[in-house]
Amino acid sequence: MTTLIGLSGCKGEVSILDPAGSVARDIAGLWWVLLLGAVVIFVAVMALLAWAMVRPQGRTSERVWFWGLGLAFPMLVLSALTVHGLVVGERLLARSAEGVVTVRAEARQWAWSFGYADAPGRVTEDLLHIPAGRPVDVEIGSVDVVHSFWVPRLAGKLDAIPGRINVLHLQADRPGDYAGVGAEFSGYGYLDHVFTVRAHDPAAWAAFLAETP
Amino acid sequence: MTDPKPARRAEALRLHRKLLPIWSSDQRFRGWLTTNNNNDIGGLFLIVATIFFVIGGILAMLIRAQLASPGSAFMGPEAYNQVFTMHGTVMMFLFAIPFFEAMAVLLLPGMLGTRDLAYPRLGAYGLWVYIFGGSAVIIAMLLGLSPDGGWFMYPPLSSSAFSPGIGPDVWLLGITSIEVSAIAAAVEVVVTVLRYRAAGMSLARMPIFAWYILVVAVMILTAFPPMILGSLLLEVERAFGWPFFQTENGGDALLWQHLFWLFGHPEVYIIFLPAAGMIATILPVMARTRLLGYAWVVAAVVALALLSFGLWVHHMFTTGIPHMGLAFFSAASTLVAVPTAVMIFSWIGTLWQGKPRLELPMLWILGFFATFVIGGLTGVMLAIVPFNWQVHDTHFVVAHLHYVLIGGYVFPMIAAVYYFLPLLTGHSRFFKLGEIAFWITVPAFHLTFLAMHWAGILGQRRRTWTYDAGSGWEWINLTASIGAFAMAIGFALVIGDVVVNTLVARKARRNPWGAGTLEWATMLPSPVYGLASIPVIAGRYPLDDDPQLALRIARGEGFLADTSRNRRETLIVSTTGGEPAQVAVLPGNSVLPFILAVVTSTSFLAPLVGAYLLSGAALIGVVVVALIWAWGLGSKADEGPVDAGRGVTLPLSTEVPDPPGWWGSLMLLLADSVHFGSLLFGYAFLWTVAPNWPPPSYLAPGAVDAVLAGAGAVALLAGPRWAARSILKGAGPWPGLVLAVLGAVALAGAATGIILARPDPAGHAYDATLWLLAGHVGLHVAITAIMLGYLTARVLAGYTSPRRIGDARIVQLWADFTALTGLVALAAAWLPGVFG
Amino acid sequence: MTDIARLSVPLTLWLISFSGLYGLHGLVCSGHWTRLAGSGAEVAGQTALIAGFLAALLVQAVAVAVLWTQRFGGPPGFVRTTSLALALVALVATLWTLGPSVALPACAWPSATVAG
Ligand code: HEM
Ligand SMILES: [Cu+2]
Repeated sequence: MTTLIGLSGCKGEVSILDPAGSVARDIAGLWWVLLLGAVVIFVAVMALLAWAMVRPQGRTSERVWFWGLGLAFPMLVLSALTVHGLVVGERLLARSAEGVVTVRAEARQWAWSFGYADAPGRVTEDLLHIPAGRPVDVEIGSVDVVHSFWVPRLAGKLDAIPGRINVLHLQADRPGDYAGVGAEFSGYGYLDHVFTVRAHDPAAWAAFLAETP
Repeated sequence: MTDPKPARRAEALRLHRKLLPIWSSDQRFRGWLTTNNNNDIGGLFLIVATIFFVIGGILAMLIRAQLASPGSAFMGPEAYNQVFTMHGTVMMFLFAIPFFEAMAVLLLPGMLGTRDLAYPRLGAYGLWVYIFGGSAVIIAMLLGLSPDGGWFMYPPLSSSAFSPGIGPDVWLLGITSIEVSAIAAAVEVVVTVLRYRAAGMSLARMPIFAWYILVVAVMILTAFPPMILGSLLLEVERAFGWPFFQTENGGDALLWQHLFWLFGHPEVYIIFLPAAGMIATILPVMARTRLLGYAWVVAAVVALALLSFGLWVHHMFTTGIPHMGLAFFSAASTLVAVPTAVMIFSWIGTLWQGKPRLELPMLWILGFFATFVIGGLTGVMLAIVPFNWQVHDTHFVVAHLHYVLIGGYVFPMIAAVYYFLPLLTGHSRFFKLGEIAFWITVPAFHLTFLAMHWAGILGQRRRTWTYDAGSGWEWINLTASIGAFAMAIGFALVIGDVVVNTLVARKARRNPWGAGTLEWATMLPSPVYGLASIPVIAGRYPLDDDPQLALRIARGEGFLADTSRNRRETLIVSTTGGEPAQVAVLPGNSVLPFILAVVTSTSFLAPLVGAYLLSGAALIGVVVVALIWAWGLGSKADEGPVDAGRGVTLPLSTEVPDPPGWWGSLMLLLADSVHFGSLLFGYAFLWTVAPNWPPPSYLAPGAVDAVLAGAGAVALLAGPRWAARSILKGAGPWPGLVLAVLGAVALAGAATGIILARPDPAGHAYDATLWLLAGHVGLHVAITAIMLGYLTARVLAGYTSPRRIGDARIVQLWADFTALTGLVALAAAWLPGVFG
Repeated sequence: MTDIARLSVPLTLWLISFSGLYGLHGLVCSGHWTRLAGSGAEVAGQTALIAGFLAALLVQAVAVAVLWTQRFGGPPGFVRTTSLALALVALVATLWTLGPSVALPACAWPSATVAG
């Protein structure tokens, strides 16, 4: 392995603004849209409020305030936003695709075990190996309480719920180590319920699969 | 008006002197325990809720002290987990809800033009239950026994396997007291708004706050029951091992999340709407105008309330529900911003058409706008599913929720306290301390929580007790902590300012803000009896319409100015039109609410120390005290219609078919139906998605069971009707009562059949559910049976007559509910067995 | 009380159909459905959801129509106007919140349930 980044270390390691994969990148893009829209709306409303405070008294019409600002404006913005959010969401879902790699993540208080469809019997603790540049489906489960699987630079989080398997779709563009955390409060050791995702180039991935356990 | 001013004054004073002894509480110390006047109860509520705010605030400071620097050794995870759990719990349950209840209790009668709330003793009961339950939670915290699983207590973490201590039990039982007290307050508020108003106050003329609080009260009645069910399930799982949330035995951890958020989302609107109601009340007065688009706002409130029940899954976007399911809730969550926008623009439009003055309450409302709008916008962001996948359970969410809770609730409530200070204390402010406090608090708030958004975006998880140096979050957290301490100083100044002004400030003049609504028609502070007579009004702003109205009321020109009957009377009107309909006689001072609260709290809290026997005994005590309470109402002789003043005679509320007790029962049963519905939902949920279903076998009904159930329900429906009709005809109700008892016994028999057939509720969640369904039937049969016994005693003692039919009608209502839900419960229990 | 009902019924109907369709969706994506509907389960599920959506729309349209009548809507005035407005809100809410049932695949997220 070329890069060896410790679990706690460099800045932005779990920042959602530093995406290293398609899913996280889509969501980071969404955030900038949301932020921009919110700032514009906030400033506009505050300006309206400020003007309402200082302007001389006068009559006003319900038509503008309610039909215009109360209904038309938010409904326009919100319907566009809702549809956009759903389109992005649909794109990010796990679904059967060419060359998808399936791995399994099992959470417990306070550690993670990972298994591999392509290397039956292989189990790694707190370190998940994936190939870089290929879509990965992570099958997430828990053996005790509710946990959540989150690698901020690669994708959103998905819960690990006892008795269920949830499948998260993610992809790492480049080889490297990515910090992962348990993201649902799980009691005493929650802070240290962390793991690392190690993305390999094709050769290293093949080598990993070939290793005998 | 020809008579000279002094003479008019004298007349008003005479009436005041006559009303005072009738309505006053006991002036000795015990008066605190026996009073049920809304001024006293509301005031105590307000003080206690403020104390809990201070406690929650101190906990918040501990959190921020811990997070101020990386790797802090101030607290470890044990302590930190308790602190944030208690902070959330205290703020949400012990501060936010009781505080607005306090405001409603204090202000609602005045606004509606009545003299007190519909059930003054119920109000007192709710207060004491809250005080006992809340104190128990705090005492447990001081002993280091707090819950530590976060304010939403997800199982299995909160199940006994992973939380063996009593922490979760403290949480559950403490919450139960709040549920009881909130439901008591809600029943009282709904009935008061619907029936206890000034003459002529139609729905369209109600002050806007009455609409808000009516909607909120109905929301409490419909949102709390899922939570009550959830806490019941978790408690029986912890205590007896009924596996509702244990996957291995047919339970499902997600069931709790659904039940909790089915309550939890409406809950945030339950908290926000009263504050919004305050803004809609205060802002127009501050702008020297009237609310723009009253009907729009009413429609927006109703829409918001109902929509808010369809949002709960947005707290569960990361649990693995298929995307279409999430889409429904994402869309509903963005839609709910529309009625909110309607309200916001109604208020800005009001300022636009008016001439705003920058008094202190207005300042806080501006603080509200600057904060809540941001909270609303980040709320919309969180409604967008993919974004939610990233920031869920980070400090971004913590920041968002504080923007709405502090900006949307605390700031407007401070505005309300300042605005109503003259009414409640008779004083007007004379320091400028309030302005200074404002300018510290609001900027400090934004410093703290804007920073926190950023920490979340950079990946800081909520509920983590520390973070590493080098994570890039150090400056953000330090900023947030400095802001938080400044904010705490600001809030402390606000509280200090209010206290000082309550104690020493100068006397306020009448109606100091020039408002048009009825609460300002009294002298200041508002006297115990509220209004000297019940006015007749013809518009939404009666004090504007008739500048002399306050004087007329004081002189007794309204209804019920005659004090010769020497009891607490107020007017009941028709729901829609506000036409005078009945005269209500309110109970006097009594220690019963206090005693009932003591036994109720004992029955809740005794299990904490393992005293199950004591708990059971206390439960019997609850029944006994409740019966004594009910027995004291009503009379043994018909009084007939009484003179209500202004030449109108009206029946007493004890001599009509729908006495206040009937309306109260109706509202309680509304909550009960939702509770029952939640149980059915839980059952269906487990059947549909729980991993270890189906159970080894299903239960099928025998012919006997089915016949018992059917015949029992019919008898229980028919019996009380027959009895009531007999009383109406002046005949003995015995055949009807006997039939009803037989019906109750048959229904109970059918339910017992289920218990006998499935003796092990700890085996599978299916069996546990069957026990709950049977338990629902059993409990309601027991209640109905007690009521039938009570009715029998009432008839024998002469408390009923063709006029005094109310008791019988109340029993009929409960019997109907028992029969119908009993039938549904049994059918549901048998259904899977019938279809295999 | 009739007036209170006029104001609250339309959106309560929305709430019922909303929760109902969500429940149906849960059923469609559960093991029961495949057992019930067999090989055509997916198409049947999608069809059922769309049918539910259309039925919900119909219910809301009827609510608007009923509140429009003199008989059920009551005399002109505050309550009539407001309840009609709320009925329209409920119609829009149905379109808005349940619309995804037409646009999205029903169980796109393969989240399986395992016996433990
Ligand atoms: C007085 C200023 C306040 C400060 C500085 C503050 C600070 C905080 C912080 C830092 C957290 C996150 C703890 C963590 O996740 O590690 C938190 C959680 C929370 N706060 Fe506050 N808070 C304040 C007031 C309030 C108020 C007024 C309310 C409600 C009315 C409230 C309700 C909550 C809730 C519900 C949580 C979540 C608790 C949990 O995760 O279980 N807070 N607060
Ligand atoms: Cu919510």
